[in-house]
Amino acid sequence: MTTAFVTRSTRASRIAMIIAVLALIVLAAAPWWAGRADLRLMGEIFLYLALACLWNLMAGYAGLVSVGQQAFVGFGGYMLFALTMFGGLHPVVAILAGGVLAAIVSVPIAILVFRLRGAYFAIGTWVVAEVFRLSFAQVSSLGGGSGSSLPVDVVRSLADSRSGREALAYWLALGAAVVVIGVVYAFLRTRRGLALTAIRDSEVAASGLGIDIWRTKLEVYVVTSAFTAIIGGLIFLQKLRISPDAAFSVNDWTAFVIFIVVIGGIGTLEGPIIGTLLFFALRETLADYGTAYLIALGAVAIVVMLKAPKGVWGLIRDRFDIELFPLSYRVRTRDDHQGN
Amino acid sequence: MTLKTNRRQLLGGMAATVAAPALLTATRAYAQVPTIRIGHVSPRTGPLAGFAEADDFIIEGIQAAFSGGIENNGKSYNVEIISKDSQSNPNRAAEVAADLILGDEVDIIVAASTPDTVNPVSDQAEINEVPCITTDCPWQPYFFGRNGNPEAGFDFTYHFFWGLEDVIANFLDLWGGSGAAKSIAGLFPNDADGNAWGDPELGFPQPLADNGYALVDPGRYQPLNDDFSNYIAAFKEAGCEIVTGNMIPPDFATFWAQAAQQGFSPKVVTIGKALLFPSVVASLGDRGNGLTSEIWWSPDHPFSSSVNGDSAKALADGYTTATGRAWTQPIGFKHALFEVAGDVISRAADLDDPMAIVEAIKSTNMSSIVGDVNWANGPVPNVSKTPLVAGQWQKTGDALDLVITTNAQAPDIPVGGELQLLS
Repeated sequence: MTTAFVTRSTRASRIAMIIAVLALIVLAAAPWWAGRADLRLMGEIFLYLALACLWNLMAGYAGLVSVGQQAFVGFGGYMLFALTMFGGLHPVVAILAGGVLAAIVSVPIAILVFRLRGAYFAIGTWVVAEVFRLSFAQVSSLGGGSGSSLPVDVVRSLADSRSGREALAYWLALGAAVVVIGVVYAFLRTRRGLALTAIRDSEVAASGLGIDIWRTKLEVYVVTSAFTAIIGGLIFLQKLRISPDAAFSVNDWTAFVIFIVVIGGIGTLEGPIIGTLLFFALRETLADYGTAYLIALGAVAIVVMLKAPKGVWGLIRDRFDIELFPLSYRVRTRDDHQGN
Repeated sequence: MTLKTNRRQLLGGMAATVAAPALLTATRAYAQVPTIRIGHVSPRTGPLAGFAEADDFIIEGIQAAFSGGIENNGKSYNVEIISKDSQSNPNRAAEVAADLILGDEVDIIVAASTPDTVNPVSDQAEINEVPCITTDCPWQPYFFGRNGNPEAGFDFTYHFFWGLEDVIANFLDLWGGSGAAKSIAGLFPNDADGNAWGDPELGFPQPLADNGYALVDPGRYQPLNDDFSNYIAAFKEAGCEIVTGNMIPPDFATFWAQAAQQGFSPKVVTIGKALLFPSVVASLGDRGNGLTSEIWWSPDHPFSSSVNGDSAKALADGYTTATGRAWTQPIGFKHALFEVAGDVISRAADLDDPMAIVEAIKSTNMSSIVGDVNWANGPVPNVSKTPLVAGQWQKTGDALDLVITTNAQAPDIPVGGELQLLS
């Protein structure tokens, strides 16, 4: 006879996990097999992947469509510079401390911007980011509007040799991406994650089921802010130079990230990964064509939004019904030979 | 056929694989005609694109001049120039600099046009230990903006341009002969240039006070400001007859239109950066006539190129013939940037050793199309200064022309006319 049971994992997801673990081992060994340029590019890809996952958690699951995430990227970057230059902290410690500070700062901001809804919320977060930009432009010890370079000694304190520094920066980026994806995945599998998925599908219905929407969103906002600031610190550890316009650039840290998530598939964990790969494939092939590159990005975004509003991953999932990160529950049947 | 592999062969093969990168980098010296790569970062698109509009023209000319190769230690080297767009964005500038250094493995990296391009590129070069030459940015924002220490300097990054002290001296000469009252309105934005120009110690305020000028400085404004009413009111109240500062073109256009609306009519207006480009001054209409600015390079400069012997006039005329556009000041410096790079390549003791290239940069002593470049006698390590004069946009027929009116700081550059007061 057959019994029905409920499971999350599928064959595809089990295979995907095995492949992911193997890929991770290969990627972790990259400093031994990849060139310096590839190492740097991959580091950048991981940082963008982490940013995209975080934005996806906020916008795709909690319905917080923020266009002001650059506020926390820049905040994290500036904290790295301030804490290493004036606090004498080790860069890695400074980056983590920046994450903690960002979590603290994000609470009053959340109380403020959560009063706004939909498009007003989006504009509100952007305004907050502009306030951050203008505030940091007034801090003359960090170079004011001119910006500042990370002292060479601080960079050298990471590791003695150039290859050591490059490998460490790469591992930090890889680690950040893995931690972010892992945390988001683990979070979504808990009770809270279930609540979040309910909010994604219908906020009204979710509140009818007794979910505290405001609190759930606050948690997501604070966690996302902290991680975004950590990623920001790592980004500017690579860039070596910070200025208000670079740190709080809406194009670099939010528009491209939204592009990645929308192209890949919003509200899924696989989407940002595919989107990041597509974005970098486009950038590496087209960026030397100047304005044509930005036109091409815009055209791709328009076509995807019209033809595949759920993104590339949405297309694949609808077609083949697969899920690489097992999040949803499925009812399965199995032949139960011992049953009677 | 059977393939047999024993342990010894396998180990040998692995050793060869590991050693391959070292062998590959060494092979350049043995190639028939080895190639030296110059990476070039410049803002081809975005708000700073005006500085880079002559890039294609200059690089074509340089490539033609270097097409026969550059002689180094009796051996001829091909020169390949790889140019990348910073999109006027410091983040992107750092990225493409890293791309050039790590991906294209350039031997020398060069960059030009404002601190937003020059500083991030230099920072990447310094930490990745690649020789770097930059220009087209006053040396204070370059040196102090990168937390430079005058005692130690930088190891791999070198810069040639003028500094604020030259601008100040030129502006003082310009105003001294004008007869305008010694009350000055200062307009400094909160950006790299504005903060350097308005700095109480290193910028304008101190020397102005020393020379008996009263400066009215209402504070730093945010770039792309749309209302200068408070500033104009303060200037009117203090009776300012001279206006100075460092502005981007849109901000100056806003200020200058509002000054007219609100009845503020100074006698001399001398602004850095905003008035470099003929297109910007032409867009101001009749009110562009009589504005004054610093002049780093012009077709009247008595210098010529070390790579093809062209005079400044020939270079500017060549640009106008090729593109149908008026000459601009960055043209000369962009050409000089590659002149210096070529000179360094010809003199380096060992082109495979970055330190040898740096030694060659340090010992540079050449005459370029923008004047002499020599890092031995700069104000701080890593900086070499080029001559600076000042002048006025004057109407000749239908077109506005930039005429040199003061040359006290560089007497070998000829004066082209007299300063005329605005009102």
